[in-house]
Amino acid sequence: MTEVSIEKLTKDYGQGPAVNSISIRIAEGEFISLLGPSGCGKTTTLKMIAGFEDATAGAIRFDGRDVVHVPVEKRDIGMVFQNYALFPHMTVEKNLAFGLEMRKIPKDEIRTRIAKVLDMVQLTGYSERYPRQLSGGQQQRVALARALVIEPKILLLDEPLANLDAKLREEMRVFIRDLQRRVGITTVYVTHDQAEAMTMSDRVVVMFGGRIAQIGTPSEIYERPANLEVAEFVGQVNIIRGKVGNRIVSTAFGDVPVSGDFADGAELMLALRPEALELLPIHSGATGAPAKVLSSYYSGSLVDYRLELAGGAVVNVQTFPRTRFADGDQVLVHAPAERFWPLGTVA
Amino acid sequence: MSKPFFTVYCLIIYAFLLAPIAVVVIASFNAGAFLTFPPQGLSFRWYLVFFNNEVFMRAIRTSLWIAAMTTVISGIIGTMAAMFYVTHAGKLKETVRVAMLAPLLLPEVLTAISLLFFVYSVGLGTQNLVGMIVGHVLITLPFVFINVSASMESYDPAWSLAAQSLGAGRFTRFRRIMLPLIKPGVIGGCLFAFIISFDVFTISFMLKGVGMSTLPIQLFDYLRTNFTPEAAAVSTCSIVLTMAVVVISEKVLGLRIHRF
Ligand SMILES: Nc1ncnc2c1ncn2[C@@H]1O[C@H](COP(=O)(O)OP(=O)(O)OP(=O)(O)O)[C@@H](O)[C@H]1O
Ligand SMILES: [Mg+2]
Repeated sequence: MTEVSIEKLTKDYGQGPAVNSISIRIAEGEFISLLGPSGCGKTTTLKMIAGFEDATAGAIRFDGRDVVHVPVEKRDIGMVFQNYALFPHMTVEKNLAFGLEMRKIPKDEIRTRIAKVLDMVQLTGYSERYPRQLSGGQQQRVALARALVIEPKILLLDEPLANLDAKLREEMRVFIRDLQRRVGITTVYVTHDQAEAMTMSDRVVVMFGGRIAQIGTPSEIYERPANLEVAEFVGQVNIIRGKVGNRIVSTAFGDVPVSGDFADGAELMLALRPEALELLPIHSGATGAPAKVLSSYYSGSLVDYRLELAGGAVVNVQTFPRTRFADGDQVLVHAPAERFWPLGTVA
Repeated sequence: MSKPFFTVYCLIIYAFLLAPIAVVVIASFNAGAFLTFPPQGLSFRWYLVFFNNEVFMRAIRTSLWIAAMTTVISGIIGTMAAMFYVTHAGKLKETVRVAMLAPLLLPEVLTAISLLFFVYSVGLGTQNLVGMIVGHVLITLPFVFINVSASMESYDPAWSLAAQSLGAGRFTRFRRIMLPLIKPGVIGGCLFAFIISFDVFTISFMLKGVGMSTLPIQLFDYLRTNFTPEAAAVSTCSIVLTMAVVVISEKVLGLRIHRF
């Protein structure tokens, strides 16, 4: 198991930094996701860790040893590519043996290790097939097996599920995560799919424009986003504005106490997740802000409402479809004060 | 186009392309003393004459030797150029392509004459085969380049990256991953190089040394003064030889293995 530490890593292709002085410490056996919109520098970061790109500045350490000048083939990494990159002229077995042959492992050990890894990815019996004779999901698992069988220091995956259909993608999420736990390998996973990052990772690194916006566990990222950009990128969010007075922001939903140093009179943005809100019938006598239902979207287990508050502001609410409200209904919206999260003052 | 019409159309094209070859082959079995069609009687007479003609035999050996050398050199340079062109050329891509294809655009005579000047001015002369082989490599290079770069286009660079991540150095990546996957292009290009080199006249004619000759030159020389079916026998043998090279390399090197 390997601890990876990235310090002030920068990559400039010549048109300004694509990755801008990022630092991450990845613990032994940790599963880290790099999450961010297209072009934010996720792949570039991964390539630098793998060694496919030179770093313009900064350090990458595997267990304290700087590997910046170690070429890819000596870096001892396992990499899974988006399109799998299985060698089409080799059978599954030959694909898996390749990395072991490069390490001059004896033939009989190669055989036992391949059998073991095939069992691990549930593909025993497929060793004589060519990649083109496998389904997308099976190819994916071979690619994973090929990266793991060499027992690398670190596993790197670049959007490995992007080419699979939705159902298979969810299965593979669980599969990869389970496998990673069992093997206990330090893993860096690149994705622009927040659900993937949230469900699989120990910690998520949210990146924008080559910089790290936030590093944290999935729940930290979701419930306590560092700023507006992160809040909006990870799931849906309502932004509620209000003036601070005496460490309290008064909103349509009532007074919300805020921690942190905010000057009196400053206008604050508060994040409020749609599922934090509760809808009640208008005459229930509960506390809450009156609102009108603009529209609703039913998706089986959940209903999404768009509501208009008395002041004209629009909020999104997600609830279980126990009580249904029709478009045009008057309702009460209740938001517990502890579910608000301050994102900072309005610029 | 309707199906029967299309079939007929194809047959006519094939007939147009193959008829001259058929005529030559049939004429080579002529028992008479002159190259005529239809032949007067059938015999292997002229093949015997040809096989016992030391001048022709020497010319064939020279041609085969030159074609073999040309194929190897052109194959290596052309493959390397194609690899550079597809994966590394960047902004130079178009320039590299034009440069590689230039020998196709220039009239062969011009290439031949300038090469002749060149080999004399650098002191090589024409008494060894160097100038000749350089000339053959020059005109066959575009064919290797085109074939190899076409098969490189369907080569996914991620395959090389994957091999590298698994610990393969540069040479291993080429030998174990890239070469097997671009093999059809390499073999195809080399076949072109061989056949063209075996067949080319102008360049060989300009760059040949005194008393040296390749098969096409010898044949031309022969036809200036003779008109026997021996010429047809020579041609037929050269057709069979080239076809043999194509068939054997397909079988032995497995041009068709590339199925995926
Ligand atoms: N080889 C290159 N030469 C020049 N610029 C590059 C190169 N590779 C990437 N870039 C630039 O660097 C930035 C980051 O690219 P990168 O591929 O890391 O993005 P990404 O986060 O992986 O995006 P995506 O989700 O679309 O894959 C982009 O602006 C891109 O245009
Ligand atoms: Mg990417």
